[in-house]
Amino acid sequence: MSVAHIDELDAIEMPDGFVWRPIRRHFDIRAFGVNAYTALEVGGQIVEEHTESQLGHEEIYLVLRGRALFTVEGNEHELSAGQLVFLRDPQLRRGAIALDEDTVVLALGGKPGEAHVVSAWEAMFAAVPYSREENWDEAIRIHVEALVEQPDHPALLYNLACMEARGGRHLDALLHLQRAVELDRKWADYARKDSDFAAIVGEPGFPA
Amino acid sequence: MSGYEILSLDDLDKVPYRGSGEVLRPLRKRLGFRAFGVNVWSAEAAGDKLIPPHEEDSGHEELYVVVRGTASFTVGDETFDAPAGTLIHAKSGTFRAATAAEAATTILVAGGKEGEAFTPGGWEDVHVAFAFLDAGDAAAGRAIMQAANAPEDYLWGKHYNLACYEAMAGATDAALEHLRSALELNRDQVMKWLPHDTDLDSLRGDPRFEELAE
Repeated sequence: MSVAHIDELDAIEMPDGFVWRPIRRHFDIRAFGVNAYTALEVGGQIVEEHTESQLGHEEIYLVLRGRALFTVEGNEHELSAGQLVFLRDPQLRRGAIALDEDTVVLALGGKPGEAHVVSAWEAMFAAVPYSREENWDEAIRIHVEALVEQPDHPALLYNLACMEARGGRHLDALLHLQRAVELDRKWADYARKDSDFAAIVGEPGFPA
Repeated sequence: MSGYEILSLDDLDKVPYRGSGEVLRPLRKRLGFRAFGVNVWSAEAAGDKLIPPHEEDSGHEELYVVVRGTASFTVGDETFDAPAGTLIHAKSGTFRAATAAEAATTILVAGGKEGEAFTPGGWEDVHVAFAFLDAGDAAAGRAIMQAANAPEDYLWGKHYNLACYEAMAGATDAALEHLRSALELNRDQVMKWLPHDTDLDSLRGDPRFEELAE
């Protein structure tokens, strides 16, 4: 058994402006996806604009505190504490902004009919603060840990290669980037335009 | 069915939990959520029961989220106050229970089993069905019981619960038939409950029941 208050969770500020409060990762929950989100300011993003089309998750967003303005496929809904939006269709574009200073949104998600797989984006999110402070060793460690469970996840491999290239581990970066491209050619296009690979873009073996 | 839905927790049905008096707000069934278990429990007054005492021997890990008010939680041998915003993670096999420490306390619970796709166990249906029976609509409750999902290894439980339901509804022949089916599917499990289950009291003394219970 373990206990935490939502305000005690890590607060990881994401580049899009919302703040990820990792619940699943905090408790190492394996059976379902669950996280909380806060915003940096009133009017700021609290749930990122996205669809669940890749993961196929159905999701519940419950406002735990304050108020949030949800937008689902362009339709706006103001939700206060105790109200939720359930999105059964993964294709729907959803997002929210905070309407009160202390708004907290709880997000629950999973794919019907399948055992839960920890979403790879969690490791990428968790590595953000370390990348921001250029602590490449820790950012790399988080990615390597996630790859133990999903060794052929192209986005994880690509992000790992980015961290390794920035951290001076050029050979590792090339190998992981090559593997990501083997799994999905689109990563070669991304890599050519990605400044993270500035140090290795001219190396033999860099995906053309 | 549209692709999304807005809902207030206050709009959920209030279903008395059989035997111990907590109030289930059946969120998963209301939404048709399929990925894992998720439900809400609420209490109106301080001191009211909130989470039924249990150990979750289903293998599910559970996360309790105090949405409103304050709950007095017991997990294992520890008792503590959990104000709104508290998260409690409990693994299968750990004793847990809660009462309301404030009026209007509400808790959301999510649960599932690591490495397995979620299958509804049908326990929510049992409590909803009995609420219909208590309200005098036996046919509506029976329809819910009969349509309830049950995993292959819990079919005995579905028949056993139907036996209890029919016994409480006064349908003795149907109750005995379901009891017979439950015993055929898993006698060991059924016999853990049958000797002392007051739901079946109306059957005791019937020679057919005594024969089955031997």
